[in-house]
Amino acid sequence: MVLSWLAVAALAHAQAEEPRFGIRNAFVEPRGGVWQLNAILELGLSRAAETALEEGVPLTLILDTEVSRGRRFLPDENVAELQQRWQLGYDGLAQRYVVVNQNSGAQAAYASLGEALDALARIRELPLLDESLLQAGRRYEVSLRATLEIGGLPEAVKVLLFWREWSRVTDWYTWSVRP
Amino acid sequence: MESCDRLVHLERQAVNRRRLPLGVGASVVLWVLMLAMLAVATRNSEEFGRLQPWILLANAVAVLVLMVLLIGRFAELFRERRRMIPGSRLRSQTVLILSSLALAPLLVLFAFSVLFLTRGIDSWFHLEVRQGLSDAMGLSRAALDLRMTEFLTRTERIAEDLEYRSEGELYRLLADHRRLADADDLVLFGPGGQVLASASAGPIEAGLPTIPGEILASARSGEPFISLEPAAAGGYEIRSAVALGTLDSLQARRVLMAVYPVPQRLADLATAVQSAYQQYGRLSYLREPLKLSFVMTLSLVLLMALLAAVYGAFFFTDRLVQPLQDLIGATRAVAKGDFDTRVVGTSRDEVGYLVASFNAMTARLARARAETESSRQEVESERAGLAAILARLSTGVLSLEADLTLRLANQAAGEILGADLTAHVGESLEGIAPSHPLVGQFLAAIKPQLDGSERDWREQFTLRGEGTRRELICACTMLPGEGDRPGIRVLVFDDLTQLLKVQREAAWGEVARRLAHEIKNPLTPIQLSAERVRRRLLGNLPERDAEVLERATHTIVQQVEAMKQMVNAFSEYARAPAIELESCDLNALVREAADLYHAQDPRVDIRVPVDSRSVTVLADRGRLRQVLNNLLTNSLEALESTTEPRIVVETHHLQGPPGGGFVELTVRDNGPGFQPELMDRLFDPYVTSKSKGTGLGLAIVRKIVEEHGGRIEADNEGEGARIRVWLPVDEAARGAGLPRSVRRQESRREYA
Repeated sequence: MVLSWLAVAALAHAQAEEPRFGIRNAFVEPRGGVWQLNAILELGLSRAAETALEEGVPLTLILDTEVSRGRRFLPDENVAELQQRWQLGYDGLAQRYVVVNQNSGAQAAYASLGEALDALARIRELPLLDESLLQAGRRYEVSLRATLEIGGLPEAVKVLLFWREWSRVTDWYTWSVRP
Repeated sequence: MESCDRLVHLERQAVNRRRLPLGVGASVVLWVLMLAMLAVATRNSEEFGRLQPWILLANAVAVLVLMVLLIGRFAELFRERRRMIPGSRLRSQTVLILSSLALAPLLVLFAFSVLFLTRGIDSWFHLEVRQGLSDAMGLSRAALDLRMTEFLTRTERIAEDLEYRSEGELYRLLADHRRLADADDLVLFGPGGQVLASASAGPIEAGLPTIPGEILASARSGEPFISLEPAAAGGYEIRSAVALGTLDSLQARRVLMAVYPVPQRLADLATAVQSAYQQYGRLSYLREPLKLSFVMTLSLVLLMALLAAVYGAFFFTDRLVQPLQDLIGATRAVAKGDFDTRVVGTSRDEVGYLVASFNAMTARLARARAETESSRQEVESERAGLAAILARLSTGVLSLEADLTLRLANQAAGEILGADLTAHVGESLEGIAPSHPLVGQFLAAIKPQLDGSERDWREQFTLRGEGTRRELICACTMLPGEGDRPGIRVLVFDDLTQLLKVQREAAWGEVARRLAHEIKNPLTPIQLSAERVRRRLLGNLPERDAEVLERATHTIVQQVEAMKQMVNAFSEYARAPAIELESCDLNALVREAADLYHAQDPRVDIRVPVDSRSVTVLADRGRLRQVLNNLLTNSLEALESTTEPRIVVETHHLQGPPGGGFVELTVRDNGPGFQPELMDRLFDPYVTSKSKGTGLGLAIVRKIVEEHGGRIEADNEGEGARIRVWLPVDEAARGAGLPRSVRRQESRREYA
């Protein structure tokens, strides 16, 4: 009994210490001959990440997407890979959180961190691959993984202080699709 | 063995010299690589950030390489210390001292570097700096707030102007207001957020700005919206939004949004301040990690420098100690006698001079030893030659020290004196004398001369042993002594016995020959005359006179006959016919002679060899038969008064050295034996103990045996006499003669 309470307390403490960081939902949707990715992320920031952001160190969200076709006797065929990077920073002069899509250069500013994270967490209609690359009736696997890094740090510091958590990464979120 | 050690040593030296450039070369390559990377990295911080991990990695690899090399060197040093290898103590002490000397300044430098770095980093983040940046940010913000207030007022005026305008006028009015207000964009949004009208300074392709939900909501609630927005292209822009009309009017749901550019000068300054503030915040965040990473980097560099210093200590210690170790090893080799040892040294310092001096010294030692060895070999050679000459001499040679210690004796001396003197070298002659009678007599004979003052003298004397009589002539010379040591006396003596014996035999032969010639001739006329007188007068004389005549002539004839026999015997002794040698079966001849004599006197038990094997000798069959006859006759005559007379004849072949190639014939009886006083003259002519003997039997036997190349000896053994004869079996043995060692086995002996 005591052990159970201790386990629950430890779990609660862990949850309190480490906000959830993961992929809540993701799916692809064909539209106009292009497969578009939609996903909802859970971007709970660690205390270190919040501190870094407050100090002016930007955070980088990296979204890795892979589309592969499973084969019986051969290794899976990698059909498409896509990496999207967003940078979340705080502009002290404008007092706004700025999200920049590093792939397209698009930028948006938000009055609060919550709004900025909400905007980052909702991936909508992200073009993934041309439908013509896929064979109808085949089964494809789409995998998604998000990584949140504390950016702007010298690599040497990361190497030397390797025991610190400089980034968080989700497990691969994988689902099957049959065009 | 020493050469192997030397080779191994040189091999180890070569390995060390190969290993050093390898480690040092790898370190130098790494150092150069790191320096090149540092040179590239210091050009800008971005390159430094990119290359710093590689520099760290190279440092780590260098540290690992050095650690591996040093572990090997320390293990090698530990092994050398355990094996007590010369120089290992000096090597370890030198390494320790040099390492300590390097460690102290390195640690001080490290401590000061860490202190300065941490203090320096901390000094970047003084409160004044942060406060100054915050004030600058506030100032920038205040300047921008003024602009924003002004732009909001402009927007409100435009909104008031548009409030009651018809839709047809909106486009024109918006364009005019945008131009007049220096706005980038003016957009009028409808109640649903749709664009009702707009005017923009940019190209149509750029599109219209969208209105965020927060702006729309704020404006509709009656609160004018104004904000500073970071622009995507850099810099800032000011957005303002104002609702048209009052809250209760139907048109109140329209919103006018204006986007104004920030003046370039103000934008640049604001951007710079923002950038500096952000950079400062980032550095402030990195302060502790940076300090930690700097300390770790310094520690890594310190460790590498320290390891390099220790390795350098090993390197320089090797350079210093290796020649000394080589010298120690070479000195040991020289101490063991290996004068060919050389130390390889190329340096021109004091150690090089020492090495050169050592090599010169060993070279001189090697030459001196070679010369000594050569001299020794010459002396040994001369000594061996002298020993060979002495061994082959029939003359006895002795050298005596002043206290009569025997220093040298040749084989002939031992044979003459009846003792193995070579086995007594180093002993006093007085100590040898009691156990060897002839030596004692010899010493007694020479002692007066030795005690005298004469350095050179010559003396002839006679030694008498049991059944032996030797005439010696001895010459003595004193060699000069070395320093205070007295001189050594060298005695050279010859056994004249044989010479005298030969001379005597020659004289006897001449006597016999003359007797035969001078006496035998008149005997026959005497005998014939006596018989004629007897024949003529015996019948004419009275009986009494006839009887006298008869008796007188008979006596004359008998005595003449006896004299004839005696003269014949002498003639036989003197006669020396050529012998005809052939292989004879000695056993067969022995059995033949034994049968003959046994038939003459069956009373005597003559035992002959029962072995059917033939014992072959190289001899004249007739002369050998005469030898057997004489020996058996001699024994039979000696056994006349013996109750159970017995003669034993034995033969056997001597196998292997000494004496190989000879057959020994032994004739032994159980008679009274030889008279001791006759022993040394037993084989001389006319020496006999018998009343009827001529004394020529044994003399003839010895003569025949000697003509065959053999030897004869006589002695008393047990209850009777024993005569031993050695005869050669072939020509080779006859030419070689009976070895001396066979002679030395006998204590009483007569030589042919």
